[in-house]
Amino acid sequence: MKVLKGVLREELGNSLRMKKSYERELARLPKGSLITKKIKGHQYHYLVLRERGKVRFLYKGKLSEQDVKKYKQVKEYRAKYRKLLSEVKKQIRFLRSTLRGKEPV
Amino acid sequence: MEKSQYDLCIEVLRRMDQAGVLKHVVLVGSWCTLFYRSYFAGKKYAPVLKTRDIDFFVPQPSKINVQIDLAELLKDLGFVVGFTGSQGYIRLEHPQLIVEFLVAEKGRPSDKPYPLPKLGVNAQPLRFLELLARDTITAKIENLSVTLPHPANFAIHKLLILQRRPKPEKAQKDRDAAVRILEALTVKGEQDSARKLFRSLPLRWQTRIQKAMQDVNNKDVLSIVQ
Repeated sequence: MKVLKGVLREELGNSLRMKKSYERELARLPKGSLITKKIKGHQYHYLVLRERGKVRFLYKGKLSEQDVKKYKQVKEYRAKYRKLLSEVKKQIRFLRSTLRGKEPV
Repeated sequence: MEKSQYDLCIEVLRRMDQAGVLKHVVLVGSWCTLFYRSYFAGKKYAPVLKTRDIDFFVPQPSKINVQIDLAELLKDLGFVVGFTGSQGYIRLEHPQLIVEFLVAEKGRPSDKPYPLPKLGVNAQPLRFLELLARDTITAKIENLSVTLPHPANFAIHKLLILQRRPKPEKAQKDRDAAVRILEALTVKGEQDSARKLFRSLPLRWQTRIQKAMQDVNNKDVLSIVQ
């Protein structure tokens, strides 16, 4: 039992550290999501983001394919990291409740 | 959860293999006990409880002759770079798996991470690790050739380090893993490999191992360290 508890405690420490790592990586990613508007047959790009509860459209103009790809990749990473962060948070809740055992919450 | 963790581990190994790194590292740590199943196939053997961290020992001087960024290699799988310890050992973290690198500590004890510029990470120096790379086996895991320490080396190493563990439960886990492997070696009729290794060690190390085995009841296993 002691061994099992030791492993769970170690894993809780790992998950707590991991939570910080994912939060740091998410904060590092550039904010916003790129959208494309078609105006009079021309494509223009805008970065959509929320600032103080308001949605803002930042005009980016015409972007190269490479830039569009970069924004797309950022979006994918953000979604992935959010999903994994949520998984880590679930692990933390599970490990904490398991280690607490019958103690009152 | 278990299945996806195993799949992720295989994917990490596959990418390291494709990058030309896997053949130059030795997989150590509790994941070995899982991969020893094929070595002990048909014999009574059950792997011990393993943690999420998968450790790779990089023998020095390293034979890695390619320049890769491991963090970038595993980034699309969701791995992020994490730092641990006061000195900042790098770990590649994922909710299912934590990849770490180790090197053998030589000379004065030091907390400083050992840089591995070819891989774009650093490694934690630890005592007695060279024992794991002295005799190795190659396990075929999903068509990948993975170098593992010989089970005898793995068990003897665990017995050697357990007294250095600050946490008693970790020492107990090490002892359980070692005894389980030594039992399996005995069943397989390979106790001589462990005995030979034990006798080749310095006397101080032998005494330390014998002390670690004080509470073990299995006479066949005990005879290895007599």
